[in-house]
Amino acid sequence: MKEMVAGAEVVGGHAQWKELPPTRRRPPSRMRRRIVTLLPVAIVVVALVAVLYKGLSSALVYFYTAQQAVAMRSTLGSSTFRMEGVVVPGTIVSTVNGVNFSIRFNHTVVQVIEVGSPPQLFQPKIPVVVVGHFAGKRFFSDQIMVKHSANYVAAHPGRISHAGGTS
Amino acid sequence: MKSDRAVQGLGLVAVLAIVATYILGLWITPPAAVMGNLVRLLYIHPPVAWVAYLAYGVTSVASILYLWKRTRDPRWDLIAASSAEIGVVFTALTLLTGSIWGRPTWGVWWTWDARLTTTALLFLLYVGYLALRRATPDVTQRSKRSAVAALIAFIDVPIVHQSVVWWKTLHQSATVFNASLSPKVHGEMAWTLLLGFIAFSLAYVWMLIRRYQIAVLISKRQEILLQGALDERMSTV
Repeated sequence: MKEMVAGAEVVGGHAQWKELPPTRRRPPSRMRRRIVTLLPVAIVVVALVAVLYKGLSSALVYFYTAQQAVAMRSTLGSSTFRMEGVVVPGTIVSTVNGVNFSIRFNHTVVQVIEVGSPPQLFQPKIPVVVVGHFAGKRFFSDQIMVKHSANYVAAHPGRISHAGGTS
Repeated sequence: MKSDRAVQGLGLVAVLAIVATYILGLWITPPAAVMGNLVRLLYIHPPVAWVAYLAYGVTSVASILYLWKRTRDPRWDLIAASSAEIGVVFTALTLLTGSIWGRPTWGVWWTWDARLTTTALLFLLYVGYLALRRATPDVTQRSKRSAVAALIAFIDVPIVHQSVVWWKTLHQSATVFNASLSPKVHGEMAWTLLLGFIAFSLAYVWMLIRRYQIAVLISKRQEILLQGALDERMSTV
């Protein structure tokens, strides 16, 4: 005996699975569902591998100090690398193509020929990382990056002491 | 509802604290000796990075509590996911503000040094965590898998922090959480930075509560929809 309870079909007092009329939209296949759900994971994995590859090849030895670079000059040859040192005061000379200056690390001084404009904070006594290669004893660079310290000192220390600062 | 008013109040305090940080950071604090006005990003960039660490820390603790059978509860999974979402937003903000700060300071928008590379990796690891959560409709399977993934991803957090110590980087060493825990920041600049940390931490707590509430509602809605679908097809005696 068939009867209808709340829109559902009940046969002989037992619960029945009611087949609903098919909707216009076809449900996506299992393969398609799998692709849709796993695609974002795959994209992230590819990005991770790319960052790891780029990072591992560059970040681990990000730069040599001027002292290390001079010691390794014959090994480095004319290859491009990054070199760190502090800009020696009184050596900065502007040129038509950029700027010439020297950097120091401990007692080692290297003359740098820079092609291009230096960054805003470039100045004497500031640590920099230059990108380029050796040509003889001089270092030819096409990029200067300023390395800032984690010390933040106010430009007006007098004003701070009056305000009860901790300088 | 008393608790909802408390959350609203927390949100208001967070907004006011962020506004105060901006006012102090942009107009009251002095320019720095070397950086000049570029120092004003100091009040945003480290606090934002701190919140990302904090968010991933909460995700990890919640994931452990979910994985541990004694404390297993679906709510821990929802908290972990909610916090990870906020962490991803704040990691993106860390990368963005760092890049904006780096261009005039260093002279480049981006460089592949250890700090920047490990931070980019951190961002991708947690985007991967969120993508993994969408990869399976089975709630229990999803929760277990993502809890394990969250713990694996968290390994990168101490690596990011220590990267400036372990490797030569263009990025400066830690400003606040350095080895001696003594920030070398001048007077009122230091107080503004501290306010920035508090303001963004409060904002994080507010966002976490609200995101968790939304996650609970979504979860309940899914249960109701599932029950409705079953009721539509089944009859009861």
